[in-house]
Amino acid sequence: MLTLETKMHSEKIEGFSKRKKTSLQAGGQDRIKAQHDKGKLTARERIDLLLDEGTFTEIDPLTTHHYHEYDMQKKKFFTDGVVGGYGTVNGRQIFVFAYDFTVLGGTLSKMGAKKITKLMDHALTTGSPIIGIMDSGGARIQEGIMSLDGFADIFYYNQLASGVIPQITASLGPSAGGAVYSPAMTDFVIMVDKIGTMFVTGPDVVKTVLGEEVSFEDLGGAMTHGSKSGVAHFVAQNEYECMDYIKKLLSYLPQNNTEEPPKTTTDDDPNRLDHNLINIIPENPVQPYEMKEIINSIVDNGEFFEVHELFAPNIIVGYGRMNGRVVGFIANNPMYLAGALDIDSSNKAARFIRFCDAFNIPLVTLVDTPGYMPGSNQEHNGIIRHGSKLLYAYCEATVPRITLVIGKAYGGAYIAMGSKNLRTDINYAWPTARCAVLGGEAAVKIMYRKDLQDAKDPESLKKQLIDEFAEKFENPYVAASHGTVDNVIDPAETRPMLIKALDMLENKRAKHLPRKHGNINL
Amino acid sequence: MDYKIQDIEKSFEGKITENLGNNEYLIKINDNEHRLTILNMTSKGIEFILDQKYHRAKYLEQSTNEMNLVIDNVPITLNIHTHFDEVVYKKTGGGGTVDSQLSLKSQIPGKVVSIAVQEGDSVKKGDVVCTLESMKMQVAIKAHKDGSIKSIKIKDGGTVAKGDAVAEIE
Amino acid sequence: MIEKVLIANRGEIALRVIRTCKTLGIKTVAVYSDEDRNSLHVKQATEAYHIGEASPAKSYLNQEKILEVMLSSGADAVHPGYGFLSENDDFARLCEKNKINFIGPSADSMDLCGDKMKCKAAMLKAEVPTVPGSPGLVKDADDAEKISNEIGYPVMLKSVYGGGGRGIRIVTNDKELREGFESVTGESIAAVGKSAIIVEKFLEKTRHIEYQMARDTHGNTVHIFERECSIQRRNQKLIEQTPSPAVNDEIRARIGEIVCRAADAVDYTNLGTAEFLRADNGEFYFIEINARLQVEHPITELVSGLDLVKLQIDIANGESIPFKQNDLKMNGYAIECRINAEDTFLEFAPSTGPVPDVTIPAGPSVRCDTYLYSGCTVSPFYDSLMAKLCTWGQTFEESRTRMLSALNDFYIQGVETSIPLYKTILNSDEYKNGELSTDFLKRYDMIERLAKDLKKEKEEKSEAALAAAIIHSEYFKSRIQNRTSNNSNWKNKLD
Repeated sequence: MLTLETKMHSEKIEGFSKRKKTSLQAGGQDRIKAQHDKGKLTARERIDLLLDEGTFTEIDPLTTHHYHEYDMQKKKFFTDGVVGGYGTVNGRQIFVFAYDFTVLGGTLSKMGAKKITKLMDHALTTGSPIIGIMDSGGARIQEGIMSLDGFADIFYYNQLASGVIPQITASLGPSAGGAVYSPAMTDFVIMVDKIGTMFVTGPDVVKTVLGEEVSFEDLGGAMTHGSKSGVAHFVAQNEYECMDYIKKLLSYLPQNNTEEPPKTTTDDDPNRLDHNLINIIPENPVQPYEMKEIINSIVDNGEFFEVHELFAPNIIVGYGRMNGRVVGFIANNPMYLAGALDIDSSNKAARFIRFCDAFNIPLVTLVDTPGYMPGSNQEHNGIIRHGSKLLYAYCEATVPRITLVIGKAYGGAYIAMGSKNLRTDINYAWPTARCAVLGGEAAVKIMYRKDLQDAKDPESLKKQLIDEFAEKFENPYVAASHGTVDNVIDPAETRPMLIKALDMLENKRAKHLPRKHGNINL
Repeated sequence: MDYKIQDIEKSFEGKITENLGNNEYLIKINDNEHRLTILNMTSKGIEFILDQKYHRAKYLEQSTNEMNLVIDNVPITLNIHTHFDEVVYKKTGGGGTVDSQLSLKSQIPGKVVSIAVQEGDSVKKGDVVCTLESMKMQVAIKAHKDGSIKSIKIKDGGTVAKGDAVAEIE
Repeated sequence: MIEKVLIANRGEIALRVIRTCKTLGIKTVAVYSDEDRNSLHVKQATEAYHIGEASPAKSYLNQEKILEVMLSSGADAVHPGYGFLSENDDFARLCEKNKINFIGPSADSMDLCGDKMKCKAAMLKAEVPTVPGSPGLVKDADDAEKISNEIGYPVMLKSVYGGGGRGIRIVTNDKELREGFESVTGESIAAVGKSAIIVEKFLEKTRHIEYQMARDTHGNTVHIFERECSIQRRNQKLIEQTPSPAVNDEIRARIGEIVCRAADAVDYTNLGTAEFLRADNGEFYFIEINARLQVEHPITELVSGLDLVKLQIDIANGESIPFKQNDLKMNGYAIECRINAEDTFLEFAPSTGPVPDVTIPAGPSVRCDTYLYSGCTVSPFYDSLMAKLCTWGQTFEESRTRMLSALNDFYIQGVETSIPLYKTILNSDEYKNGELSTDFLKRYDMIERLAKDLKKEKEEKSEAALAAAIIHSEYFKSRIQNRTSNNSNWKNKLD
């Protein structure tokens, strides 16, 4: 450790120590206090919270901007608004950069962008995840186009890294204008309630141009993006919780796309039966139930990490472990919209599937859906386009895929929720499964329209026909007889059956024909 | 950094002052310096000698601002990074103390036998919100603070895991 | 002669019976549910049979299934332990019918003891003093209210078919009586399928003193001293000890004689326990006979030198009790602490889950009967009793300090336990002076004292805890130097 007692080069040592100290001060004590007063931690404090203690090695702490217009030379600060480097989270190497609001409002400059892209480049070449902490006023107006170009560089790297290394963004302050696109391109976004905001155009401009009055929170706050737009995958109550989310998320992901997700050992017996599973499904098919109860029973230790919880609740996605192996779950949620598929849920599930596929995470799909939501709202907003994304994503995924039909699986939704012919590897069904083109009532009305019209007692004939239909089609046995369902299983054995399938598929290798890339209907 | 031990109203400042090499360290707790020698350390636990006394600690689960450990068979929960608490809880309020939390969480697993309140009811701290059955005993889950029932998260006959929210009280 | 015993139970009592059988060269048959597949009693028995799902009704209470195993395994006797089917006269009859030796009382005497009304009547006839209460079952809440007002509050509502502390409520006025009546009825139906309530006067500041009794098929009756079990919560025993501080030689002999009369009155066979409440003025009132081996039998074994399970088997074999009352002498003092998986601060709510690590205390005159082992699981389907920790000493003080030391050595990771509470109780002056009563916990604010003790303990350990927290970061720093993560997949990919 250098002390002032070192005699040699004492002037140089002093200059070095001074610069080091100043760099740590970032924007100065006043600005740090202002940041704290707003209930926000500084960039360095946040990185401290995220990384394992003492593991942070900073890169470019001494960069400054080189501008001279608008008296900018008087406002030179070390780090120039972005603090970044590498360290470990629970022992795993990651790269992190945090916008520093205390320096010129965290606005992005050419040097800031250079630093970020330098870190992203390192992350790419070493195959480590990269985490970005947003707290920025946007582009630095004084730097003009150079700042915008900086953003473009970052976006380019986001794309380069997409599907190669996990990219996570934490929104712990504003990010507006072009700045929001980087987070949108990353794999997961965590926003902190009442602290993080994201919007393309701020409320002031919105008021000026459209006359619409809307608050920061309503326009682009954490809850808005968590539940309405789906931009945020997680909404944290405070900065501590935000870091907890990031650490938990990382524990399910591999370092990069050539690695398997981290496998752990578990004492939860892989052969554990649960005789209560069948009791979760009500006898009355229109009565809803908690799909999450089923998921909690089959995963190790009941631990299910839900992703995108507040958005499109009619479908559930998230990570769990089965016998220590990470699995991505997709499940219809009968508690909302009876588990029907719609625009938002198709998007949510499709993106989740594609991420898992990129990072070698096997998929388990639990099905209980009556079909796609009807109505002009859905049609006019493009349910056709969005719904097709789900089908595309399933077909594209070469990771092991298992589907378990629990309840209804009708029509297009039956196909879309990982049916066999989308080249799903293993398809199971419970005895309560009902695979059909349509539900009994609707089907009978169409198939027997003439007979019902001519009948003397249409009501009882309808009931009879519905019962016949139910016996013939509303069960998994027809599908099983064609091999489109590999087997009907005892619900109590769900966990061991799924684990056995995952074990069998562990070394699955599948590839598509070479092409530049497909044309998923975006 | 700053630490707080739950259930004891005291804050501590602690850091490593010097690494003497050979697994020996000088650490400082508030204004006192101590000598610490690590005998054995893994990610799960540590055996060490602090000022000539032997101790054994197991590290249990940990989150960003909370560390759970068992020191010589005594379980202790520490809040870490507490010097950030004031800033972090400024906008979102509370944190730390159970009382101000929105969710009333169940401390035990069990089956819901009865729900004593409805949404909108006003409750006082200690009022019975619901009754769970576990191990043939019925246990009442009581409101952790005064307020009104914002939402009920459980249903009659359903199962609740330890830590699950049973209701929200605001 | 019994050659193969099926133990219709689980946990520590199953182990207890297996141990004695082994010393007698008797083969053992264990039964287990899904939950108990990895239990010690399964591993230590000669044979083990799976009998059903976790829930007791589908396994340990499933008489048909157990009978099936008895017949197919060729067991010639069954030991029911305590709880489950141990006081179920239907089961005893089922065994009798199938010529299987039920190690316990006859079905008829079990029936008589289990029916608190009939038992009370038998006691009155034998001039055994009983607690004032309702002459029979109360018809309904109104009847209960009338009687309660007659004998005077506070009263205890008791389910006739309860046991182990369940189905009991203490009420102090009409309103509480109404509420209590409903819940007692509910608990009774939940536990044994039927409801029948009696009302008894609730005596304040009583001591729960019970006598171990034994009677063979030749009419020989002995008592094997008393046990004081006053420290309870929700009418379930926490700490038991023998001899009782409230019993001297004269009282022991006098009440002991009453116990033998009681055993004769119900024509009891094998081992059982006669429970009394000793009022503050020294009067003893008979409560009931537990027609089974009690949880706390080890302390009687420690001061008498007997193996009570062996005595049970001998009596079941038709042998006479090999000693006379005068031959029995009490030696020393013994204490038992029931280590339960409960959270004391959440009104003793059950705590369940995996137990990754456990250290069981040992040493001279320290005995621990438990099913725990590192890596086992405490199940939510069964009782919260994990271990019975017993100590013996030449003097009371010796057994008490030995117990404190053993409690300190007992480490169970993963569940909340009652161990800290017992330390506080055993350290209290009131306990040292033998000032016991059934309302001990409340009367002397034990829970509040426990909170203070725990806080003090944490304060004592705070420095060490901080040191452990401060040095935690070193682990990660050191890992950077020893990093071995090398992904050649990534590094050396050639395409």
